Amino acid sequence: MVIKAINIKKNFGDLEVLKDISLEIREGEVVCIIGPSGSGKSTLLRCLNRLEEIQAGNINILGKDLVKNKKIDNIRENIGMVFQHFNLFPHLTVLENMILAPVELKKMSKGDAIKKAEELLDQVGLFDKRDVYPDTLSGGQKQRAAIARALEMNPKIMLFDEPTSALDPEMVGEVLIVMKDLAAKGMTMVIVTHEMGFARDVADRVIFMDQGYILENDTPEKIFTNPACERCREFLNKVINCE
Amino acid sequence: MRLYTIFMDNLPSILSGIMVTIKLSIISLLMAVILGILFGIFRLSKIRILEGIAASYLYIIRGTPLMVQALFIYFGIAPLIIPRSDPFICGVIALSLNAGAYMSEIFRAGILAVDFGQTEASRSLGLSYLKTMQKVILPQAIKIMIPSIINQFIVTIKDTSILTVISIRELTASGQIIVARNFRPLETYGVIAVMYFLLITVLSLLSSYVERRLHRGHKSN
Repeated sequence: MVIKAINIKKNFGDLEVLKDISLEIREGEVVCIIGPSGSGKSTLLRCLNRLEEIQAGNINILGKDLVKNKKIDNIRENIGMVFQHFNLFPHLTVLENMILAPVELKKMSKGDAIKKAEELLDQVGLFDKRDVYPDTLSGGQKQRAAIARALEMNPKIMLFDEPTSALDPEMVGEVLIVMKDLAAKGMTMVIVTHEMGFARDVADRVIFMDQGYILENDTPEKIFTNPACERCREFLNKVINCE
Repeated sequence: MRLYTIFMDNLPSILSGIMVTIKLSIISLLMAVILGILFGIFRLSKIRILEGIAASYLYIIRGTPLMVQALFIYFGIAPLIIPRSDPFICGVIALSLNAGAYMSEIFRAGILAVDFGQTEASRSLGLSYLKTMQKVILPQAIKIMIPSIINQFIVTIKDTSILTVISIRELTASGQIIVARNFRPLETYGVIAVMYFLLITVLSLLSSYVERRLHRGHKSN
């Protein structure tokens, strides 16, 4: 298990966002988390690299305790994260965005980092954008650059927090293709998404969350054709009929 | 013509006044920047005691006039420490403390103005809090802060004139002394005003040059 969360609880003040969540993810698995907004799926994802602190329970990442670990930065090096709003650094070029962390953390020499960054940019189709500032990119390009930036650190796990939700519809595809490609290469991926088609095609497992609980945790076939709980059926009906 | 005569007749006096004003400003502003960064970080530290100290400092300075602060330090506190204290040093202390408080607000606001997603992205890559500040947040925050910092510089330069009350012979005090000799307040204070104006115009030009340099290459987000 590369990710193991046991009985975790998370509150924002009086509001209980995660109520007793347990979750295991194997190496190379692609897991999509779906559910209505406010169900706690983004919060759960953010707990997995401790962008949110949990109030109870335990999380183990790549064999190391996450919750009380003093060397959180060392763990985070192995977990790439992609955000809904990209969060590229606007004062740095695409290439500089990518090499900042590996060079600062002395994981690679600057030369090696640039070489790797160029390979990754080539993979995501942004090689010609290496020296531009993020402002000049479209949403889809920004998100592909953000994925490349996360991959530059050679992560063992990738977390995606609604990576296509802030994109214009015609740009969703180009980002999903990059993610599909990554999944095919065997990356362990946890993806919070509203793209049901993507979840059905790419995920090994789909998790349905509602009101701070995991209600379903099964193969996409099972969940999309014959969900066990009523709440999940209702949700899928609404979402898929809109698509 | 008369302005020019008055200027030439009192040149040594005016120049020495300007020099004192510039010295006061530069030393105080340097100290203020250091105090500002320090207390700005205190405010953001999430450590209750530090936050409390920084907030009290800000409220005390903001809630009292600089003239009272200067009088309090020079006539009130300084004699308790040394019998014959130097007004210049007391002036620098008053001005630094004053500008430092406002500066801490500028730094705090500048750092908070950078989207929190930037911090999250940087931390998620494994960069430490300090590296994140240094490489990601501050480069963006400084751009946001610069107009406010320049504005505070200008305010502080003008505030040096208040320090005449603790008998510092800066530019305004020089003017008063000249007027006491020549009984020509209109022309003399006119000359003094022009001197301040020139000083601040030079600073403004310099700062807009710096701002342009910083924004070159890409948009400011």
